[in-house]
Amino acid sequence: MQDELRTVAQAVTEGDDTKVVALVSEALEEGTPASVVLQDGLVPGLQTLGERFKDGTVFLPEVLIACRAMNAGVDVLKPHFSLGDRPSKGIVVLGTVEGDMHDIGKNLVKLMLESSGFDVEDLGTDVPSEDFVAAARDTRADVVAMSALLTITMSSMSDTVRSLEDAGLRDSVKVLIGGAPVTREFADEIGADGFAEDCVSAVDEAARLMQNRGGAND
Amino acid sequence: MTSDEVKMPNRDAFLEFCRGKRLGEVPLYSWFHKYWAETPAAWIEQGAPKEIATGEGFRAYFQLPHAHGLEEVISEVNRADVKADSTAQGPGMFHITPPVVPVFPLKVIREDEKHRVETTYGGCTVEVSKAHPWRMPKYLEYPVRDWTTWKEYKKRLDPYTPERWPKDWPAFAEKKNAEDSPTILLMAGFFGVLREWCGLERLLYLFHDDPRLVEDMMDQVLYLIMGVARRVVRDLRIDAIRFWEDMAYRSGPLISPSMVRRFMVPRYKQVTQFLRQNGIDVIHLDSDGNVMKLVPIWMECGINFPWPFEVAAGNDMLLLRNLYGADIVFGGGIDKRCLIKSKDAIREEVMAKVPPLVKTGGYFPGCDHTIPPDVPFEHYKYFVNLLRELNGQDKLPD
Repeated sequence: MQDELRTVAQAVTEGDDTKVVALVSEALEEGTPASVVLQDGLVPGLQTLGERFKDGTVFLPEVLIACRAMNAGVDVLKPHFSLGDRPSKGIVVLGTVEGDMHDIGKNLVKLMLESSGFDVEDLGTDVPSEDFVAAARDTRADVVAMSALLTITMSSMSDTVRSLEDAGLRDSVKVLIGGAPVTREFADEIGADGFAEDCVSAVDEAARLMQNRGGAND
Repeated sequence: MTSDEVKMPNRDAFLEFCRGKRLGEVPLYSWFHKYWAETPAAWIEQGAPKEIATGEGFRAYFQLPHAHGLEEVISEVNRADVKADSTAQGPGMFHITPPVVPVFPLKVIREDEKHRVETTYGGCTVEVSKAHPWRMPKYLEYPVRDWTTWKEYKKRLDPYTPERWPKDWPAFAEKKNAEDSPTILLMAGFFGVLREWCGLERLLYLFHDDPRLVEDMMDQVLYLIMGVARRVVRDLRIDAIRFWEDMAYRSGPLISPSMVRRFMVPRYKQVTQFLRQNGIDVIHLDSDGNVMKLVPIWMECGINFPWPFEVAAGNDMLLLRNLYGADIVFGGGIDKRCLIKSKDAIREEVMAKVPPLVKTGGYFPGCDHTIPPDVPFEHYKYFVNLLRELNGQDKLPD
């Protein structure tokens, strides 16, 4: 079984969605539980890809096709999960801050987070701080993740941090930020909990924040 | 500096700066002091003279000689949407419009209190913030989705379409050649316009899913820019060319260096070999993001003048200068966050970069992208004065 699951992982890493669907179906037919196929096949495949991205041996096109393969595999598994079988790694409210319409980076972060098992509430672009606060409250979010591409819109990130504090949510939600002009120093300065420089590190950072707040929503 | 010099910089001097033959001098050209549409208005509120609202007024105030981007020939970004009066720019003004002729009609599809959804000259559907109409919009739909839509779209990318050219080309050429102002031919790159046609995500998938379609689009770009370049170079004196690519983000290239080599390098080389055969050896390239892995590939292709070297993305001009010496020319590279922060931060940034770089080759210092409106007017004036001080020039008048 381990060999089969390694092949699934390899197909995810290579972004071969057709092969992933075939291998996952095969594994299910042979009686491998869906949760095992997910945790020991699909997830390690995406993790390997993430490591290669960080090493600089693969780039965004390979990330995209690997996520597509991962999601194709998850789609095959879905009917085989009973309620509660598929643990969520956490709930993330995501958006580009007010005054900023850029969405490419945000969309890539969403794709990676979802493919990695997070539930994402995507608020879109040009999102005012009160909308982040409302969504964090409504979804009982674990993480509020904000993106900004412009220096002039970075101040909206600190506005949102303050709004979360004013709403009494700051103790229950972690704040993760990223975007072209954003740095870890800026994150520290505004009291954000995490900083990600790309879509792969956003997943690592979100996972780290979940650990700091006491684990995933199993 | 006299007002005549402000309007008509010597093109030979520009080339000497590019070729590292005026070591120690700090070149100041308007090309490297571009700004957001919102910036002059913000500065006027801070006490700047209202004349800076126009490009000519801006250049005159900061005494920046003009380098002329050849926007009259539509070969890179279609400027059909640029209105002469910068205060009367309508919808679509700052959407990137790939060099399509004819352009697509503009249409407002829907709007609410905060946003307007509209089509662009390039055939995209975008959502614009009404509060900030000059900022980059959110792209909702792109015109090229597959072979069928591409085959239709490419009909608008013919170099020989008459409307692509000034109406009286011989007269235009004669006038341009009589000017002593550096002239830069603008060329579509092989990545930048493709992402404007397809959208970035779709394009990145296509590199794996349908590489033939990517290559066909790149071949059309090659056909377009070579067709344009042949006529322009035959009739006009061109000092430099500029590729527009935007093919990196804060962590590095959007595609792998091996993909760049496979898809782009052979096509770049065809263009740059032609240009060099015609005496053009200053090849400028505009790409945001971290380009450190791309510069060596560009240098191999003869592309020797990257801009804007965004500092937050981790670019390092000094390291590249050590590698390539005066063979590489830089533009931009001054951290916009320092320009925002304080005069002390500006001085520190300038003194760390400008003296060592102008002593060792070509470097046109400027903000590491267009100047955003959160840079205070007084800071920018201080920045320009500091560059002038390094040049032994007087301060700008108060």
